[in-house]
Amino acid sequence: MPPKACSPACANVSPVRPDAMDFVVTTLLNALTLISILMLVGLGLAISFGLMNVTNLAHGEFVTVGAFAVYFVQSMGGSFWLGLAAAPIAGAVVGCILEFAIIRHLYSRPVSTVLATWGVSLILQQGLELTFGLGAKPVTPPIEGTLDLVFTVYPAYRLILIGIAMLTLLGVILLISRTSFGLDIRTVIQNREMAEGVGINTRRTYAIAFTFGAAIAGLAGGLVAPLAIVLPQMGVNYLANAFFVVIVGGVGSIGGLVAGSVFVGGLTSILNYQISPSLAQAIVLLAAIVAVRLRPNGLFNGASR
Amino acid sequence: MIARDRNWLLIFAICVALAVVYPLFAGGYQLTVIRDALIFGLFAASLDFFWGRTGILCFGHAAFFGIGGYIMALVTLNDAIPFGSLLGIIGAVAGAAFVAAIIGYFLFFGGIRGSYFTIVTLAMGVICQQAAVSWSSVTGGDSGLIGIPPIEFDLGSLHIDLSQDLPSYIFVSAIVAVTVLALWSISRGRWGTVLTAIQDNEVRAAALGHNAPLRLLVTFVLSAAIAGLAGALYVCMAGLVAPDLSGLLLSTEVIVWVAVGGRGTLLGPVLGAIFIQRAQQTISSFNPSLWPLLLGCVFVIIVFVLPDGILSIYARLKALFKGGRRAQ
Repeated sequence: MPPKACSPACANVSPVRPDAMDFVVTTLLNALTLISILMLVGLGLAISFGLMNVTNLAHGEFVTVGAFAVYFVQSMGGSFWLGLAAAPIAGAVVGCILEFAIIRHLYSRPVSTVLATWGVSLILQQGLELTFGLGAKPVTPPIEGTLDLVFTVYPAYRLILIGIAMLTLLGVILLISRTSFGLDIRTVIQNREMAEGVGINTRRTYAIAFTFGAAIAGLAGGLVAPLAIVLPQMGVNYLANAFFVVIVGGVGSIGGLVAGSVFVGGLTSILNYQISPSLAQAIVLLAAIVAVRLRPNGLFNGASR
Repeated sequence: MIARDRNWLLIFAICVALAVVYPLFAGGYQLTVIRDALIFGLFAASLDFFWGRTGILCFGHAAFFGIGGYIMALVTLNDAIPFGSLLGIIGAVAGAAFVAAIIGYFLFFGGIRGSYFTIVTLAMGVICQQAAVSWSSVTGGDSGLIGIPPIEFDLGSLHIDLSQDLPSYIFVSAIVAVTVLALWSISRGRWGTVLTAIQDNEVRAAALGHNAPLRLLVTFVLSAAIAGLAGALYVCMAGLVAPDLSGLLLSTEVIVWVAVGGRGTLLGPVLGAIFIQRAQQTISSFNPSLWPLLLGCVFVIIVFVLPDGILSIYARLKALFKGGRRAQ
């Protein structure tokens, strides 16, 4: 069944002290939490959608699989951190199978890719529901309690989440700009035929990049699991938002990804204070559509889509 | 008249004839089942009119179905509004068309095509369903609105009352037949030809003087208006409206109906809707969660085995046998 109540990616934390500085800092940190998650989910999508031109509607399920991995490890008695290590692996396994079984056969048929990945997404959702049963799954954060940040107090786990997300992003930037594999990816993106000509195995590069994106999305799912409602249908919410991130930010650069995440995540987070999450979502959608109309190539870069 | 058109009209005539004689053999309940399936068939035809002719996939078409349904429900449930049924249908069609016009304007004139369009419409569907759930003071929230009266209005001296099974069946069949025929004439005529040209090469079509974004927009709005009409008809027949009617699952199902029936044929999607719903009812009676699973498998199978729908089996077999003869 479709999701009954689509929760926002994660709810806001209310300020504790009644002064303006507290409000500003809390708001910023709330926005930063959401932005971090969207950035990680959007990263994989930027790789598949933006660079490989593959519209993968099963991308949200990588997030779901990551969250369920944490739930599964915890329910077996493992710690949260073990679950968080399992989350990207689970995402990578599912992503790798999907790439090998379906996506690589459809590179030249975009509409078919949309249909097939949506089918896979439905199969994964129902598979998870049949395996783990109906209802939301509880995931406990590794650290309860808050951290005193001079201006405000903020839940410690969210600060860790932001930290891990930033480190991951830094790692990805280093991977793409400093390693030989990153060079391969950049070459394939710029010109696939030429890359093949100079001896790069483009199929292999695509497969690894896709799997890598799925792993990052799985990690995002694991990170958000203690804050979100863990359901088999949770993925579609991240899917829609992550696509906005990529569309608004424009493809082809980490800067675009960050700009898109800040736009979508920041707007959603701030609007959630004032109005219901659904209405906030609708406004973000409209804002994204208008932004695309005004800046068709993305907020950040001038490269053509 | 070329052979393809003749074949289409022949199949259309057979379908109409079957629809005409069906009440002689079927009881009241079976009539209502086919009637509801036909409404979804109309919905499928509306998607096919856009997707089949432009090659752009709308992934949130149920949003328009739901918008039509909710407007119809709100208008007919409000006692202060006279001529509820008629105004409701007009409002439903206009409301769906209005939303499509706004979204379509920004997307088509912003140069959004292909996958980008699919994604934005997907999000639109998600948000419509969320809005239907959370705006509970108007939409009734999760449980929706119930007690929507059947369609009833005067057309000149003719009083039309669709509270009985047979009149409602005839009314719906007539609307579906007329709409499908109208859409077919539009899409095989000049309008459809230009759309095909835009699909093949938009830059070239624009260079020949066709306003591609405007053509796409008008087609999209028309398609959404018919989806809204289908939604309005459905809620009156079912007597209730719920958030699921604008949901992602229905958006997905309508794509399957079109894909299985054969994209671009208009008639195929109607038949696809009827047969797949039949299958869905049978399968769901075993286990309700089995259906989305099978739906997912159908998507994958269509893409890899039958990219042109069920009707293409005939053409493929013909080609197969023809090829065999030539080889001898």
